[in-house]
Amino acid sequence: MKKLFSLIKASMSEGMNLFKINKNKKSKKNKAALPIILTIILMFAMYSYSEGLMGLLAPMNLGYIVLTIFVMAISMLTLIEGIYKSGNLLFNCKDDNLLLSLPIKRSTVLFIRVFKFYIFELIYNSVFLLPCIINYAVHIRPTASYYIVSIFGLLLLPVVPILISCIIGTFITSVASRFKGKNIVQIVLSVAIILVVLYFSYNSNGLVDGIVQHAESINNTITKYYYPAGTYIELITNFNLLKFIAYIAIHIAVFALTVLLIGKVYFGINSNAKAVQKKKKAVKDYKVKTNSPTKSLIKKEFNRFINSPVFVTNAGFGLVLYIIGCILVAVKFDSFAASIVQTGITIEQITNYIPVLAFAFLCFTAFMTSITSSMISLEGKSFNILKSLPQKPAKIVNAKVLAAICIMLPCILIGDLILFIRFKLDIISMILILIASVLLPLISETIGILVNLKYPRMDAQNDTEVVKQSMSSSISVFIGMAMIAITFGALVGAIVAGLSNIIIMLVFIGIFAIIYGLLLLLLNKICDKCFDNINV
Amino acid sequence: MIEIKNVTKKYGDIPAIKNITFDVNDGEIFAFIGHNGAGKTTLIKSIVGIHKFDEGDILINGKSIKDDPIACKKEMAFVPDNPELYEQMKAIDFIDFICDMYEVPQDIREKNIKKYAKMFEIEEKLNDTIDSFSHGMKQKIALISALAHDPKVLIMDEPFVGLDPKAVFDVKEVMNEMVKEGKIIFFSTHILDVAEKLCSRVGIIKKGELVKVGSMEEIKGDESLEKVFLELEG
Repeated sequence: MKKLFSLIKASMSEGMNLFKINKNKKSKKNKAALPIILTIILMFAMYSYSEGLMGLLAPMNLGYIVLTIFVMAISMLTLIEGIYKSGNLLFNCKDDNLLLSLPIKRSTVLFIRVFKFYIFELIYNSVFLLPCIINYAVHIRPTASYYIVSIFGLLLLPVVPILISCIIGTFITSVASRFKGKNIVQIVLSVAIILVVLYFSYNSNGLVDGIVQHAESINNTITKYYYPAGTYIELITNFNLLKFIAYIAIHIAVFALTVLLIGKVYFGINSNAKAVQKKKKAVKDYKVKTNSPTKSLIKKEFNRFINSPVFVTNAGFGLVLYIIGCILVAVKFDSFAASIVQTGITIEQITNYIPVLAFAFLCFTAFMTSITSSMISLEGKSFNILKSLPQKPAKIVNAKVLAAICIMLPCILIGDLILFIRFKLDIISMILILIASVLLPLISETIGILVNLKYPRMDAQNDTEVVKQSMSSSISVFIGMAMIAITFGALVGAIVAGLSNIIIMLVFIGIFAIIYGLLLLLLNKICDKCFDNINV
Repeated sequence: MIEIKNVTKKYGDIPAIKNITFDVNDGEIFAFIGHNGAGKTTLIKSIVGIHKFDEGDILINGKSIKDDPIACKKEMAFVPDNPELYEQMKAIDFIDFICDMYEVPQDIREKNIKKYAKMFEIEEKLNDTIDSFSHGMKQKIALISALAHDPKVLIMDEPFVGLDPKAVFDVKEVMNEMVKEGKIIFFSTHILDVAEKLCSRVGIIKKGELVKVGSMEEIKGDESLEKVFLELEG
């Protein structure tokens, strides 16, 4: 047991660098301020969402349904994210050689990997779920048992989604490791499985239509089919000690059983995943190609991107969804419009503002995609190569932004083209949307690189720790969400004010151009210093 | 010429190297020796512009690494002790990448890559991705990348670690060839025999301070370098 605690402690001290800012007290305070503020804003937003529903449902004694919906939504999010995280978190870690050479059971190594994954998800889940739990307590004034059950609920609710995602991640890695192009196979399988999960979620959206009117039936469906949520809700509304003990025991047993089951195949898959497919024949005729420094830097970034399945899935998924979204809107516009008409908005109003709606969709995609927020951290120890090169840090950093734009732009342009053809937009709207298609990703990626320069994570054990569990990626996502919220609010205001499409887009493009200019100034100001301060 | 002038580098409040001053002249092979943690790598990283230092200056052929890092870096090549290369790149693409950064013309890089790849017997592996390579092979790729742009100053941190005997011999040959052309080789090592046989000058660092610097004869006199080093370090 002492060994296990030592291992967990060592593993966590590496993995929890997300929460270690800097040894320097002043710098620690400065750097900690932004993530703390963003976390508080996010928790406040979650509290506000739950308050909106709780205000309607609590007077009818149905407040617990808000908890059900929150638990289900967060579990789905954990599952979807876990599917593409788990393969990288469980397999092919940098400390494999060290841990496997120690006199410990191999299943212990797997346990530590899954446990670390669980701790991260617990922290993220808490940010989303805790405000709702507090909100319920404020409205309902429950007994002491609610608090005890909720503390355990908070601890246990991430267990099932992460175990399911570990099983799926193991399956994907197992299949992918049999192929030569294992990264491509892993990316395709991850995206396919996530799309299947999303398809079923989309089809069950009918459940959420008229949430208040159908609240009880939604609750009954979720609690009937999903044991962790169902029992948690049952325990807070009608506490039973035996059921509570069983609830804890079942989660622990499922955790142990899953680790045991994956453990049976884990080491075989891990060895295959590590194996590098070597060429059968040695090839002497290599080609030497000369490129400009910028082109070469962009090529290097692109190579890094496509060889990291978690990076591609994380960044590329939003872009794929943009294309799918554009196709869906193009094909099913009439049925979408019909459902919106029921809310009182006329079909003319919808068609009149199609360019602005396209602009808003573009905004959402651009601000939710931040490739550069991981690009510095993914350099890891090879960052010293960049530091020793005879190139200015600004050129290296700008090449990262350009590489990200090269990755995003084709997908965005395909989506734009579909919308242009389907809705026969006027030439000025098309030009403005095309300008926004370049400008918005530039803003998003410049923010990403700025955040990553300020919050680098150079000692990650795998790409997932950088792409999904680093301070930089979290802050970038929060900033993106804030940008979307502000932009959407302002767009709605502009539509309500009756401004024309062209005026709205011109004003927004103007504002975004100024923001981009300011971001560039900031990047030029801090780039060299931040670059020098990163020591690996 | 490398001029190191009163260089101090601190990690937090703790100085890793203290007030170090010495020169390395053109056509010299200079060995920098010291215990683990003595400050060798810190000084090397300061010379090549990876670390900023707190006091003093380092001049490469008269240019300050503080004031004109790009010009200094163009004159140098750096081979780290543990080559952390871009694992997913093909070896040839990595070498090309480094050459692009140094803006090496196509004909020169073709000639140099061919020469050094043949010398290190790694021609047949240049189309493989680096993640399939052993430590020694990565070290060879790092060496080829460093040599492909004809640097005037070659800085190496423990260059012989992980190399096979044939490669060690070849690296020594390359070093001798370079100094004949008036270039500078500056490297750190724990292998005192190599330093003794190969170098014209040597510097010994202890707990961040330069305790001795001079020609090999001045440093060791009639004794072996190993004995002098152990006495100084003891």
